[in-house]
Amino acid sequence: MSAVAGDGTATARIGISIAPFAPLLACLGLLAAWQIGALLLGTDSIPTALDALRAVPDILGDRSGLANILDSIRRMAIGLASAVVVSIPLGLAMGRVPAVASFFNPILMVTYPVPKAALMPVIMLWLGVGDLSKTLVIFLAVTLPIIYHSFEGAKAVEEKMIWSGAAMGMSRLQIMARIVLPAALPEILAGCRTGLVLALITMVTSEMIARKSGAGNILFNALDMGQYDTVFAMIIIIGALGIIFDAAFDRLRRALVAWSDTRQDIPLSFS
Amino acid sequence: MRATLSRDIVLGAIPLILIAAVWQAIVSFGYAPAALLPPPGAVFVRLVHQLGGTDFLAQGGATLLRLFVGFTIAAVLGIGIGLMAAVHRGVDAVVRPLVRVLAPVPKVALYPALLLLLGFDHASKIALVVADALFPILLSTYYGATTIEQKLVWSALAAGTPPHQVLYKVVLPAAMPSILTGCRIALVISCIVVFLAEMISSTDGLGYLLVRAARSFQTVDMFVPLISISLLGLILNALLYGARKVLLRGFPEV
Amino acid sequence: MRPLTMPRDSIANGPPAVPVRAAPPMIAIQGVSQTFKTAGRKDHLAISDINLDIADGAFVSILGPSGCGKSTLLYIVGGFVAPTAGIVKVKDKAITGPGPDRGPVFQEFALFPWKTVLGNVIYGLRQQGVPRAEAEERGHKLLAMVGLKGYEAFYPKELSGGMKQRVAIARTLAYNPSVLLMDEPFGALDAHTRTRLQNDLLDIWERDRKTVLFVTHAVDEAVYLSDKVIVMSRSPGRIKKVVDIDLPRPRRRAELLLDVHYQKYVVDIERLIEDAPEDAVHP
Ligand SMILES: Nc1ncnc2c1ncn2[C@@H]1O[C@H](COP(=O)(O)OP(=O)(O)OP(=O)(O)O)[C@@H](O)[C@H]1O
Ligand SMILES: [Mg+2]
Repeated sequence: MSAVAGDGTATARIGISIAPFAPLLACLGLLAAWQIGALLLGTDSIPTALDALRAVPDILGDRSGLANILDSIRRMAIGLASAVVVSIPLGLAMGRVPAVASFFNPILMVTYPVPKAALMPVIMLWLGVGDLSKTLVIFLAVTLPIIYHSFEGAKAVEEKMIWSGAAMGMSRLQIMARIVLPAALPEILAGCRTGLVLALITMVTSEMIARKSGAGNILFNALDMGQYDTVFAMIIIIGALGIIFDAAFDRLRRALVAWSDTRQDIPLSFS
Repeated sequence: MRATLSRDIVLGAIPLILIAAVWQAIVSFGYAPAALLPPPGAVFVRLVHQLGGTDFLAQGGATLLRLFVGFTIAAVLGIGIGLMAAVHRGVDAVVRPLVRVLAPVPKVALYPALLLLLGFDHASKIALVVADALFPILLSTYYGATTIEQKLVWSALAAGTPPHQVLYKVVLPAAMPSILTGCRIALVISCIVVFLAEMISSTDGLGYLLVRAARSFQTVDMFVPLISISLLGLILNALLYGARKVLLRGFPEV
Repeated sequence: MRPLTMPRDSIANGPPAVPVRAAPPMIAIQGVSQTFKTAGRKDHLAISDINLDIADGAFVSILGPSGCGKSTLLYIVGGFVAPTAGIVKVKDKAITGPGPDRGPVFQEFALFPWKTVLGNVIYGLRQQGVPRAEAEERGHKLLAMVGLKGYEAFYPKELSGGMKQRVAIARTLAYNPSVLLMDEPFGALDAHTRTRLQNDLLDIWERDRKTVLFVTHAVDEAVYLSDKVIVMSRSPGRIKKVVDIDLPRPRRRAELLLDVHYQKYVVDIERLIEDAPEDAVHP
């Protein structure tokens, strides 16, 4: 205890050696806790972990079940990709041009606490219950964190780096692309990671509201019909999607910003 | 200084006014029927009108209660676990992998399970808020506590602080800037998920008002809860900002 | 009763006093080594087999090239870091951790940002159970002593570097440690502030003669302040030579700069550090 802060780094070092197994152990521990809890409770509506796991292949093996899930993923990918394309330039511009920041800040602040999936009923009125509404809602949900992180990242870029760029005769656009963007990249990627998880959540919620297709549709239909094994199997599938996407993105992030010493190797993902 | 401030306000007001103007224009020039897009004036009149009514306040109160209880539980748990994990190897070894697995899981997907487990009343919604708000607070606490200047701890120990008190006498206050940043993120999330939970299980609260209005195609009433949750978020954020100003008085660049 | 190892008054008062079997040294560093385990690479021996006695009331400086383990040695004496081998005794008792008998002052100040200047200074007193009113009274006196009267309610961020270090020194003096452990305390300050703080530190030291272990990079600073200068060599950190500084006290900077003895000490020690041969010989 005499070296409080040192403990953290020491464990981080140890963590590397058992890192591949620790999350696996955590999963097993959680499933075991679930199994025991369900057995103790003994109610119909809470199946055991084993029962739920047994239902997973049924859903994934079923043609329409798989198609539903792939539908969801497609919408998520499109919404996320378009949000990335729009948000990063906007966030960077806000970070480097004060007027742009004061222009957009209030509206972002007002819209931040509004759950974007809650716009679903309104947007459905205009655009119907199809792909367009759901993709738009995912897009809206993901833009805000990416804009904010790009904004913060660009704001924190050291002034002297930009001066040296200008001294080398770079244009403003070149400075943005060649200096600000790479310097803010770790922060931008942190925003994208948050956006990724947000996209997944909005995907589930939007499908819950507009019940036509998708993973959220299966989940909540099963809940309404009392198919509890399916409910919990879907929870496992969606949870696994979250973990897999996050791990894959983290790989990508590490490859892109190997030079930066980001200590935050756990995602700050939310909602 | 003052000039830039007023310029900021003007610049920031432009998009808000613009949106209201475009909204009004679409309605006035008949591009959208009032059934699809009510005029902004009507929405605000309804909002002000509703604020005087007991039913609306009761629904808003239900939302606020869940938000507050859920956020408070998440803050206590998140700060507590985060600090323990930062200073205790054993706790760290358990917490780290659990957080790694649980943080990227979309918590809304857990909501059906929470409903089955805790019922349709307050408990399930509060549990969802806790599940969602916990991780940002826990992670930022952990991050803040593991990156504090080690010499602060040494200085306190040398001054005779018992080792078990260092946690709340030094680590907690030193990590406070990071903790409050986590709280701010968690607050926004709490607003979002409490609303979603109320939409999903629709018994009461602002989210329920939206769903009820949507079912009967009352577009004006659909906008009112959306604006209310935005206002609620803004007010709570302002309160947190005030707390930040006081708590971080001594820290550079609040 | 002054131990033999510290002939402070020898020049001023003629021949050295008759050797007496004196009290045990204030600090006894015995066979201390520190090895750092590094992930992947092989273990790094930072300091190796350090043996050193420091007498009560002595002002001892440690000099040496960057990375030779000066800070590491100081942290070990402070009890912040446990050595991989050897022991440190303070007043003949082996230390087990940090304690209010040894007060650190760091180059980074390490003030508590959430406390006011006064809050920082009285922190240790409050830890010792001194009532608030009494602690504050002593805090005010200490702040006056380090020249910061009127700054009680300020936060550290509102002070200059030199003022911050004065607060840090007052905070450590407040709980009256027998030993001051100073790790390049003036390293982050400008030359002018540094000189003033050196003089102030000497004044304080002349008054209550605490034992001081003082790490620095500046040879002139070490010679000006110390009774004894420990020169270390690198890879692994060892004591290369112990130089006794036989200059009269109280010392005045203006006189000292013109003093040939002083100049010779500085030049000799600088040479010692410069040609630090890798196979440094033990003194
Ligand atoms: N926590 C640590 N982990 C690994 N190696 C360390 C650690 N702390 C110090 N070292 C190594 O020990 C050696 C001595 O470091 P130390 O900081 O004591 O040197 P120093 O003499 O104080 O240097 P400087 O004059 O630059 O302050 C260095 O080679 C350093 O790399
Ligand atoms: Mg050092």
